[in-house]
Amino acid sequence: MKEKTIYEHLREKGLSRRDFMKLCGTIAGMMGLELAPPVKALGKLAHPTPAEVVAQALTTKPKLPIIWLEFQDCAGCSEAISRSSSPLLSKLVLNDIAIEYHETLMAAAGFQAEKAKEECMKKYWGKYVLVVEGSPTLADDGIYCVVAGKSNLDLLKEAAAGAAAIIATGNCASFGGIPAAHPNPTRAVGVADLIKDKPVVNIPGCPAIPEVTTGTILHFLVMGELPKTDELKRPLPFYGNTVHDHCLRRPFYEAGKFAESFDDEGARKGYCLYKLGCKGPTTYNACAGLKWERGLSYPVQSGHPCLGCSQPHFWDGGGFYEGQSAPTIIPDKGSTATLVGAGVAVGAALAGVNAIKKNRAKKALTKNAGPEAKAEPEPKKEA
Amino acid sequence: MKTQSAINTYLKETGGWVASQLEACTRCGICAEACHFYQALGNPEYAPIWKLEPLRRAYEQRFTIAGKLKLALGLEKKLTDADLEHWSKIVYEACTVCNKCAHVCPMGIELGPLIHEVRAGMAAAGVVPGDLAEATEKQRTVGSPLGVTDEMWRERIDWITDEWEVDIPVDKAGAESLMVFTSIELMKFPDNLAAIAKILNKAGENWTVSSTGREVVNFGYFEADEELTKLFMYRVFKAAEDLGVKKIIISECGHAYDAFRWTAHNIMKVPAGVKIVHITEYIHELWKTGRIKLKEGAFDAETITFHDSCKIQRRGGIIKQPREILKVLAPTRFKEMTPNKEQSMCCGGGGGVISIKEADANRYAVFEMKLEQMRDIQAQAVCMVCSNCRLQFVDSLAHFNSTIKVHGLAEMVAKALI
Amino acid sequence: MNWTEILTFSRGPLLHVALMIFIVGMSYRLVRVLLLGWERDRVPNKGSKIWGVILNYLKGLVVLPFIPWVRRTFRNNALTFIAGGLFHLSLFVVLAFGTAHILVWKSLCGISWKSLPTPVVAFFSATGIISLIVLLINRLTHPVLKILTKLPVWINWVMVFLPMVTGFIMARHLWFRYEVIFSLHLISVSLLLIWIPLGRISHFLFYFFSKTIHGAQAGKRAIVP
Repeated sequence: MKEKTIYEHLREKGLSRRDFMKLCGTIAGMMGLELAPPVKALGKLAHPTPAEVVAQALTTKPKLPIIWLEFQDCAGCSEAISRSSSPLLSKLVLNDIAIEYHETLMAAAGFQAEKAKEECMKKYWGKYVLVVEGSPTLADDGIYCVVAGKSNLDLLKEAAAGAAAIIATGNCASFGGIPAAHPNPTRAVGVADLIKDKPVVNIPGCPAIPEVTTGTILHFLVMGELPKTDELKRPLPFYGNTVHDHCLRRPFYEAGKFAESFDDEGARKGYCLYKLGCKGPTTYNACAGLKWERGLSYPVQSGHPCLGCSQPHFWDGGGFYEGQSAPTIIPDKGSTATLVGAGVAVGAALAGVNAIKKNRAKKALTKNAGPEAKAEPEPKKEA
Repeated sequence: MKTQSAINTYLKETGGWVASQLEACTRCGICAEACHFYQALGNPEYAPIWKLEPLRRAYEQRFTIAGKLKLALGLEKKLTDADLEHWSKIVYEACTVCNKCAHVCPMGIELGPLIHEVRAGMAAAGVVPGDLAEATEKQRTVGSPLGVTDEMWRERIDWITDEWEVDIPVDKAGAESLMVFTSIELMKFPDNLAAIAKILNKAGENWTVSSTGREVVNFGYFEADEELTKLFMYRVFKAAEDLGVKKIIISECGHAYDAFRWTAHNIMKVPAGVKIVHITEYIHELWKTGRIKLKEGAFDAETITFHDSCKIQRRGGIIKQPREILKVLAPTRFKEMTPNKEQSMCCGGGGGVISIKEADANRYAVFEMKLEQMRDIQAQAVCMVCSNCRLQFVDSLAHFNSTIKVHGLAEMVAKALI
Repeated sequence: MNWTEILTFSRGPLLHVALMIFIVGMSYRLVRVLLLGWERDRVPNKGSKIWGVILNYLKGLVVLPFIPWVRRTFRNNALTFIAGGLFHLSLFVVLAFGTAHILVWKSLCGISWKSLPTPVVAFFSATGIISLIVLLINRLTHPVLKILTKLPVWINWVMVFLPMVTGFIMARHLWFRYEVIFSLHLISVSLLLIWIPLGRISHFLFYFFSKTIHGAQAGKRAIVP
């Protein structure tokens, strides 16, 4: 039985051809398709427009099976997607592109849910996309995150084995996130640290920007492969620039106008938040361009410095309100005193040795002094 | 073995004062331009900070971890006899310890006194230019670097007394001031000696010279041999104590003022309650308090300038006094050289340089710059308050066939007394 | 290892170790010199030592930098004076008023202050770099500097130059990804911090000794320092 293509599925639901083409254009934009290799993926078409590339895919491919696992997470990334005010996202991805298993979003629970997952995995073995939210945990054989009686490590290994591609959404799945914050008692890691034999893409963020997750999923759907990534496996269309690069307050940074404290005059004038700890310059994410809530705003625009939530270990990158440029480990008063003491001790020791040398030198020089030396004691040098 | 004595001296002399300044140097090289020897001769080894190398090496290689590391890594070598010979020439024949370098150093390093320390090591090692060592030995055995014996001294005093018809009390008990002359004045500028006697007598000063404390010059100080420095000053101090004077007046000599006024208290016992003054500041005091009166314009016929002697002006602070007097003696014709006062250029003969024949070429090269200074303002005469400078001026002006006249201030004052 | 990890390392443990070595090293240097012994000056003063010290500091900081030509030694050393002075001024402006550095001081000492406009700081950053290059050329060609300069002094130049040039590239977002040049800047700063106690860059500490000594000597003799 040949599977229905997505196009057929959408037409059945009442989408007109015209709206379908509009949809393709939108999806192409969401995917940042300019950066994808269209010809390579589709083989025959020469110089298609991005919308045509999407149309080509949607009219020929069936719905994409997605298994969405959650480990040590807050479900924030899922919440972000489901609460996204972009109807396209929730409708399209959740209903029309297909998610077969999602603990938080699916209606089923318990054994039924697990059974649905196993069936999906069997049916689409080698073809489904595995989306992981939340961090796997290594401590004590993964005992700190157990679902349906299985450790998260086993669950991950199983699901990864049959996946065509793996998308780690959110900072936790990408780099360990909050659970991995110092001292990382559960030894939380990113998915890519564990799965080495399948293509993994990271969509870090806390939460991940919904459009970025879905854009990446769509990319896989349309192009048949994951987008090009940076060395941290983040898709370049969305993580190719820093928040700083597209920040709307950048002119203030360049001019040197900074807010010195929250709600001071500078803050109210919308000055740069660098001095309040903004991590924008080292944070790769699409926030400044894509923004949140359909381009409504993002932290800096709303007056809060960027936390760097798409960067590895951002919880441990110096305090949120500590300058980006400040050292992250500073000797405290006690350590400083100890260090000074150590230096003083070595200096004093050497000074002692030097004093002995000086004395010896003095003795070696003693000549027969004349009456003028005997008559008086020796206070010495010009000071 | 020689080198070890030098090194031992450097170690002995290096306390926090020396060490902190050696550490402060940033190798900027600006001190070279302040050194008249470098300016005149262009030898980069005359850079004052380079003159300190033996001291720096001894200090770093023994007292610092970094220095020991550099030695171990072969980045530096230990001091050798050859090094001492090489640097001896530099610090004795291409330095007058004028200390101008200290004033231009951005860090304010007291290079002059530090070079004096380098000399101290040389003296301990016996690596001192022959002429200088000879003169020093003469002062030690005979009492004067020119070899003036007790009899010769007595004869000269008598002769001056006769020739200039001036009273010179000798070994006068109950005197308030002990006047100590240089044997340079005694032998080469006796008119100066007579002039000072005349001034003191006119002022009604209760003064005397001493037959035992008769030499204010200190060749031990030039060599930087501390024991000899002390010995030569001790002779004067003992005389002062024996005579019970309240004041020691240093004649027109630079380094003697430096040694007696600015160094003695830190290396030996100075008789209690005895003030030490330079004749120039004393003459100024006598004039200011009305004990002597001067004829205005007595020397206003020629353009006359003043040469600041390194040890009296830059190192001694007696800057205003000679000028105030000169402005009375030459109100319209007195002109300053450039640079002057604390920034003035050394004559090139001090620090023992003039006593070393091998250094003559250096000395004349430096004096050419001094000559240019005087020609720039068309000076016809120059006044100074140091006999060593005077010797250098007289000798070098003749060497360059210049007709510029040389005056000592005391000589001028004596002529202008009313 | 990727550059984000290198950055985390440079901002954290590397800089921390460098800071510790710097503190130990400078304490050692200070004490080693202080404890070499100081003798009382028994020579009676003619003028005020304290006044001489004050004048000496003023002369170097406030007077001569603005009218350097009053000194004849300036004429033949103009390059050293101007480039050296400009370098120090630039260093001070960038370190004290560059926003990124203000945040460093804030984390180390707890106090913060207003930044200068960024283009002004950028200007001084550039002048600092150019001055250093001029000083290098000077040191390579001037006969006195050639005999005075040995390997440790060349290392001084490199150690100071690298942070300045990486800092400039970083702040102006010129080349390289930000985390790359940021890491290089911090690595070069760490190297500098480790090197300072080992050489003559520590003159910033001994400056206070020599300036005070010279001022006191001048004051004592009642001359202008």
